[in-house]
Amino acid sequence: MFNKIIPHKPITVENLFKFDKTPFNLFMMTVTIILLAAFVVGVLNYLIHGHHAYGITREHPWGLMIAMYVFFVVSSTGLCIISSLGHVFKFKSFEFIGKRAIFGAIITIISGFAVIAFEIGHPVRMAIYNTISPGMTSAIWGMGVLYSVYLGLIVMEFVFLSRDDHKWSTMFGLGGLLVGLAAHSNLGAVFGFLIGRPVANGVFYPIYFILSAMITGSYLIFLMYGFRYKMKFDEHISTFLVHVARLLGLLIAILMFFEFWRFMTSIYGNVPERAASAMHALTSPEFLIGEFGLGMLIPFLIILISKAKAIKKLVYASLSGMVGIFFMRYDLVHDTLAYPMQTMKIREYQLAPTWVHYSPSWTEWAIALGALGIMLSMYYIGENFFYLDPKEHDDYFEHYKDAEGHEVEEHLITGTDANK
Amino acid sequence: MANYGMALDYKNCINCKACEVACKEENGVQLGADKHRIWVGVKEIEGEWPLLDIISNTFLPSQCQHCENAPCQEVCPTHATYYDENGVVRVDSDKCILCSYCMVACPYDARYVDDRTMTVDKCTFCSDTRLARGETTTACQNTCPTKVRTFGDLDDPESEISELLRTREHFSLKAHIGTKPKLFYLT
Repeated sequence: MFNKIIPHKPITVENLFKFDKTPFNLFMMTVTIILLAAFVVGVLNYLIHGHHAYGITREHPWGLMIAMYVFFVVSSTGLCIISSLGHVFKFKSFEFIGKRAIFGAIITIISGFAVIAFEIGHPVRMAIYNTISPGMTSAIWGMGVLYSVYLGLIVMEFVFLSRDDHKWSTMFGLGGLLVGLAAHSNLGAVFGFLIGRPVANGVFYPIYFILSAMITGSYLIFLMYGFRYKMKFDEHISTFLVHVARLLGLLIAILMFFEFWRFMTSIYGNVPERAASAMHALTSPEFLIGEFGLGMLIPFLIILISKAKAIKKLVYASLSGMVGIFFMRYDLVHDTLAYPMQTMKIREYQLAPTWVHYSPSWTEWAIALGALGIMLSMYYIGENFFYLDPKEHDDYFEHYKDAEGHEVEEHLITGTDANK
Repeated sequence: MANYGMALDYKNCINCKACEVACKEENGVQLGADKHRIWVGVKEIEGEWPLLDIISNTFLPSQCQHCENAPCQEVCPTHATYYDENGVVRVDSDKCILCSYCMVACPYDARYVDDRTMTVDKCTFCSDTRLARGETTTACQNTCPTKVRTFGDLDDPESEISELLRTREHFSLKAHIGTKPKLFYLT
């Protein structure tokens, strides 16, 4: 029955544990289990102590959880955009990544929702009052609604891609892309609309979010395909990854250009609050080492020096890139809130006495990083149960036998014949 | 139907913090240093001993500005934050989902989380307590020994606050960002 909706491999627990026991696979399994355990322990502590388990304060009401939520949804939108290059915009070399990238988009946004569910104080009330008492002027409302629609659309897109139904998958793909872009720029607007926070206020974030999403998507493509092919790329995959690398180089260059002018315009003229906040952000190690060094410079230099051909190095650089992206999200939240709101000790337009400090608690770290475990395990489950590659790229069919030892039949592989 | 605001003759403030105590007592505000609806900001004395500039030491009592164009109201995804019929910015705790966006958006740091309801709380100009009982003053105003605060209807030309704002120079906090605060600091 389920197979008619979406073609899948036999779903058994046994299959989940059928993997090559290579040191790397065992390492990944251990990491995933540790992260999942961390998530569970973190959530339990949150359920016992509520927001007291977090390091957030009155002056710094958002923290690592919001940063991690943004991290995941940026990843999702990024994968959606990159995958749409193939099956929406019909770039030939990107066409085969559709299913895997969209599956990645689904699991990253679900991981993001898993994080935000434990940050929002009343998630059930949110579902009710977002519907019956919608605050249309709120960017959070817009983002929440659009991301929910987006999730529905990309799930449908994945279903139709799996059924090789390119007409409907393109329709849902286009819908998912447009709604995803709207949702994601709304997320930028959550920060951009803050008139009381001059360093965040303005047009920058809604636009930058789309750009950084594409970069995140490219990093994740490298990681997924590096892992998928265990760094042994055939000619077709190599060509594709070189194309991604070129695109990534261009995108990082644009990002650095954006960041340069963002900081220049924030600091120039020494406008109160904004300039100080921007200088504070610019000189922080999180920006210099995390955002700039790991997130932009290392991958960019590898692309530049190798003329985008060192794709194996770029897989490792993408790991550094993703750590950098994490710092980008963390800084987004922290830099926005770092400047004190001036009402406690001082009058307007005087130097702030101190920056607002924030340090995530172990519970926040456990839930935030633990959500990576959710993502990794969902990816593993998806890899085992669904056909994430087009048939010609899937060696599953040559090797795999079902639970009873029979070859898997053709109609299970290619989807329902009715769709052809 | 009124349009409530408050004028603060802040130079009279002696930082006794009676207003903070009265507010907590009257409105049942949770105890704890970061659980406050109103506060007294302190501008430290400038200079070094013995050359202290005593006149530079000022106190700035403050609270929610009850902005006419309140960023907290605008960003609330569920209309939990709303303007009541008297122009007071209020929170409906039944609708608050504790996303904390209003706390991030408020330019005055006027909001905090009430741990009992797990929702965001703020100054209400004593709407639930004193005004509901028919009184015409807020707790902070009533208790102030130096009569810093004057609370009243801005739309009533005969009210004391209207008279004060007509006759005294005044400023608002962060007026440049267009929030139209209804707390006026008399100079």
